[in-house]
Amino acid sequence: MANDLANTGNPVALQYHGITKSFFGVPVLKGVTFSLRAGHALGLVGENGAGKSTMMNILGGVLVADGGQLTVNGQAYAPKNPKDARARGIAFIHQELNLFANLSIAENIFLTGFPKTGLFAIKRKEINERTRTLLASVQLAAEPTAKVETLSPGERQLVEIAKALAFDARVVIFDEPTTSLTARECERLFALIEKLKVQGRSVIYISHALEDVRRLCEDFVILRDGEVVAQGPREDFSLDRMVSLMVGRKLEQLFPARSMVPTATALLQVAGLSQPGVIENVSFTLHKGEVLGVAGLMGSGRSETARILFGLDPAAKGEVTLDGKPFPNRNPAACIARGMAFLTESRREEGLLMDADVRENVAVAALPRFAGRGLVLQNQLQPKVDAAARSVGLAEGKIASGAVKTLSGGNQQKVVLAKWLLTEPSVFILDEPTRGIDVGAKAEIYTLINNLVARGAGVLMISSELEELIGMCDRILVMRRGEVAGVVDKAHFDREAILRLAFGGGIA
Amino acid sequence: MTRLKDLLLQHTSMVLFGVVFVVFGLLAPRFLALENLMNILVQSSVLVVGAVGMTFVLLTAGIDLSVGSIMFLAAVPAGHLVQAGHSPWLALLAALGVALIFGAVNAFVVVRLKVMPFVVTLATLYIGRGLGLYITQTRAMNLPESILAVGSATVLGVPLVLLVAAFVAFAAHYTLARTPFGRQVYAVGQDGEGARKAGLPVDRIRFITMTVCAVSAGLAGFLTIARVGVVSPSMGNQRELAIIAAAVLGGTSLFGGRGQVFPGAVLGAILIQTVETGLVILNVDPYLYPFITATIIFVAVAIDSVRNLEVAKRALRKIRPLGV
Amino acid sequence: MSNGSTLIGSTSTPAAPVVVAAARGARWQRWLRGDTWVLALAVVYFLALLPVAPDLANPENLQLILSNMLPLLVVALGQMFVLITSGIDLSVTSTIALTSVAGAGTMVWPALGLTGTAAMLAGAVAMLLIAGAVGATNGLAITRLSMPPFMVTLATMMFFSGGAIWATRSNGIPGLPEALATVSQEGFGFVPYALMLVAPFVVGAHVLLTKSVFGRRLFAVGRNAKAARVSGVPVARTVFTAYVLCAAFAAVGAFLYTGRLETGSPVLGQRIFLDVIGAAVIGGVSLFGGKGSVAGVIYGVLFITLVDNSLNILGFSSFAVLMAKGTVILLAALFDAMRARKVAVRA
Repeated sequence: MANDLANTGNPVALQYHGITKSFFGVPVLKGVTFSLRAGHALGLVGENGAGKSTMMNILGGVLVADGGQLTVNGQAYAPKNPKDARARGIAFIHQELNLFANLSIAENIFLTGFPKTGLFAIKRKEINERTRTLLASVQLAAEPTAKVETLSPGERQLVEIAKALAFDARVVIFDEPTTSLTARECERLFALIEKLKVQGRSVIYISHALEDVRRLCEDFVILRDGEVVAQGPREDFSLDRMVSLMVGRKLEQLFPARSMVPTATALLQVAGLSQPGVIENVSFTLHKGEVLGVAGLMGSGRSETARILFGLDPAAKGEVTLDGKPFPNRNPAACIARGMAFLTESRREEGLLMDADVRENVAVAALPRFAGRGLVLQNQLQPKVDAAARSVGLAEGKIASGAVKTLSGGNQQKVVLAKWLLTEPSVFILDEPTRGIDVGAKAEIYTLINNLVARGAGVLMISSELEELIGMCDRILVMRRGEVAGVVDKAHFDREAILRLAFGGGIA
Repeated sequence: MTRLKDLLLQHTSMVLFGVVFVVFGLLAPRFLALENLMNILVQSSVLVVGAVGMTFVLLTAGIDLSVGSIMFLAAVPAGHLVQAGHSPWLALLAALGVALIFGAVNAFVVVRLKVMPFVVTLATLYIGRGLGLYITQTRAMNLPESILAVGSATVLGVPLVLLVAAFVAFAAHYTLARTPFGRQVYAVGQDGEGARKAGLPVDRIRFITMTVCAVSAGLAGFLTIARVGVVSPSMGNQRELAIIAAAVLGGTSLFGGRGQVFPGAVLGAILIQTVETGLVILNVDPYLYPFITATIIFVAVAIDSVRNLEVAKRALRKIRPLGV
Repeated sequence: MSNGSTLIGSTSTPAAPVVVAAARGARWQRWLRGDTWVLALAVVYFLALLPVAPDLANPENLQLILSNMLPLLVVALGQMFVLITSGIDLSVTSTIALTSVAGAGTMVWPALGLTGTAAMLAGAVAMLLIAGAVGATNGLAITRLSMPPFMVTLATMMFFSGGAIWATRSNGIPGLPEALATVSQEGFGFVPYALMLVAPFVVGAHVLLTKSVFGRRLFAVGRNAKAARVSGVPVARTVFTAYVLCAAFAAVGAFLYTGRLETGSPVLGQRIFLDVIGAAVIGGVSLFGGKGSVAGVIYGVLFITLVDNSLNILGFSSFAVLMAKGTVILLAALFDAMRARKVAVRA
């Protein structure tokens, strides 16, 4: 079984053999077996909750397996903590990077093992020199003494890789490395991963961006419900097959058909919206019953436009008209009162009250609608909250469960959606609504969006996944460097044309 | 213009320091006399030592409200020893020993038993004070000449107390800036959970910082009695506020991970002492001292917050070059 | 949240049964999560000390415990609002001192020429106005300038305490109207007037926390201010209101303390900071924000007052009381931390 991966004759670097793990008696891994060759990249795909993180946490020494065996370079390996993993050459680059923004790059790299002169002092020259070499090998042009807080997310990722190289990691695990990178930074990361492979290091790459996985990895392991449902070389897996293996569903079902066409009635009109240094002269119209996509690279001003529209950030110039009436001096409360809703990019930071339960989260934006003389009308609110939670497909058990931080990413996003649906929005701005969410939950969210526009709302959908925009939208607005680069109609949807607009014709 | 504003905002405590000096100097020329300046430095020593220790704890996002009580409690056995005719150096050891135990208890409850440092040290503030009052039966202890001799001793014309404070500040600065432990303290304060994941001995680091803070407070207590020759029941009372304020004036964040001993905490401590001494020299109504000290702390923190707001505003993602 | 008695969902709804053996521990766990354990603690403490100090159960002593509880309760409830926003108000003790001085000063101000009840009411109004100004100062500095609450209230604590001492030159203000002493010390039958004064504030705090839009927003801000802002919560206004409420509640406490002392005192309340924070923390209010209930604070205040009272009955000296109270609060915080861990493991 272990040998049906791409056979290049490279030695096996890492092997999982019948690894099991349960939490509170609930099995999460049910005997996982696969192997990874030196110099290969292995794509690990599966829905959220399939057991990918548990699998990798066992490898990285964060969790200890209940049963089964791991071998590294043919020798048994049973890490008790992250230190053990590092000693055996295993580096784990988490989705949320483990860097200390207040320290320098060099200090971050050597934090757990500073070389010392005498008893106390750090050999500063040495760590800076060694860091300089490491930074050169990851092609990051930064001073070793620069504080990490001055680096962009992409640059920080490179520092993490430099950290792995510093102890000569043989196996590097990437968990969703691209979620906060710009397109250019992604390219740089991918080139670096290729380089790691050439150096004979192995890579385990976990991502929901299946196209990236296909591009980078020779071998695939597909995980469902704690079991390996398929593994083999890249050639064996088409995108369709990967998705259907992950969820047992075909790809075209992902974007549900819409029954309604957009009307000509303008809901939200934006004219000449500008803020120095951020966006310039952004104008567009969103119609009743329309899904207007917003494409563009990271940092093209998509989220910034949304934040300005929702009154979270200031705008120097421009007019916003909602339902035919001008809407100056916006703030979130006023926007909500006039029927706007905004699902933000970051669920954790701006979307949810993580320690509160589902009902409290769902209720918070709609409180003014259910208030009389300052008091909450609990009798009216409660059934509506539950109805909203049910309408987004949250199971009864989840609604009544404790803090939302215990829910999966997909269910958390449904809570945010329920919160906004309760305010009965006519204009719904969605910023990366399906980021970090598994395929099954994505489809449910798409259906919800369709239902919303079927009721006559307008949706402004910002996304980095072009497939999603093409599958869901009536028109796509492309942004570049804070300006509207163009608007593409459904009839003319074409990956290449949209990308060309987004990149400014840089790549043709 | 924005440059100047930036410069002013960047160096809040320096600027305030300058302003305080100029104002006092103009109002009372003798304030600027070398003798007086030296006097201020010597008087600052106690606060410097306390604030330096506090900086360790604040850097890990902790807090120690019990330092004032530690000063008192450490001074009590030291006072008894010198009263009994023992050497002041033995008294110093006793003071440091008591502080070490006190700090270890604080640290044990915070680190091992995982109770919030704010609550723990608030409780031990009262326990320590109560214990000290119980031992002294709320009477002031007048100490013999032997300990005052330590307080007024000089080495090559420089007061010993000042040298001690300078040494403490130097050692602390060096530890925080140049040693693995020091850098790890900053990492723990920035992201404790992340530091644990990275394999740092987070508990040990927290434990050590709290102990360092307590021992510094013990030393501050010893220096106090060496200078004034009395263990009074109100000794160190509310001193935790001045000590925390000094560290924060020096740019140390209450949320951890930011700040330094030099110039930071040292300057903050000297600033507070300068104000207190300056007001005495100016013969200001003593009832007005708290107003003025409080106002300076408030203004310094306000300026710092405004600066942070500015920085945050500027850190907003800039997509396009300005003015295009 | 069927009855709305607790806003914090986590305390009112059982966790999803992840654990197979959860059923056995579910009731125990729910009890642990609630505030009733504090009440139980107080009762156990009371019963345990009864054999050593039978005087505890004297009707006069029970009456004394109640009247000692009332001013502390109203002050702690005020602090609770601030703690829920994940802030802190170190200046409450100074607020008590300053309002005491201002209120007493107004009551005996010759220029007003008021006596009796009218003087008392004028004093009360002055106290509330001053408290409002203190709270507004704190609130503005924290919301407009984004200053850390700890440092703001540390500075205002020094400032206002200095103000109270300066205004009176450290002297108390005696000769207060008889009505004030009556209100603070006497009662209608078994019901102290002070209870009638405090009760509306307790009920009001409970209604605010559990039934009002403000209460829901207060918790939202304490849990995640950014997310609250995006959800349309007026964050600055909510936080500002919390500080004003805190100061106003402190003024009510100051009114009672002043009446019991029959003197306006510039050092009033200096020693009660530990009691206020201790009662709130024991009563389940989190210093990290987002958690707290009126019932919990009542139990916390009951416990602290009981400890204080029992140690006095047992003849402990004032510094021994200090030590014992510190220890008890430490132990209670310890138990709370263990309890929280237990709940976290189960969830």
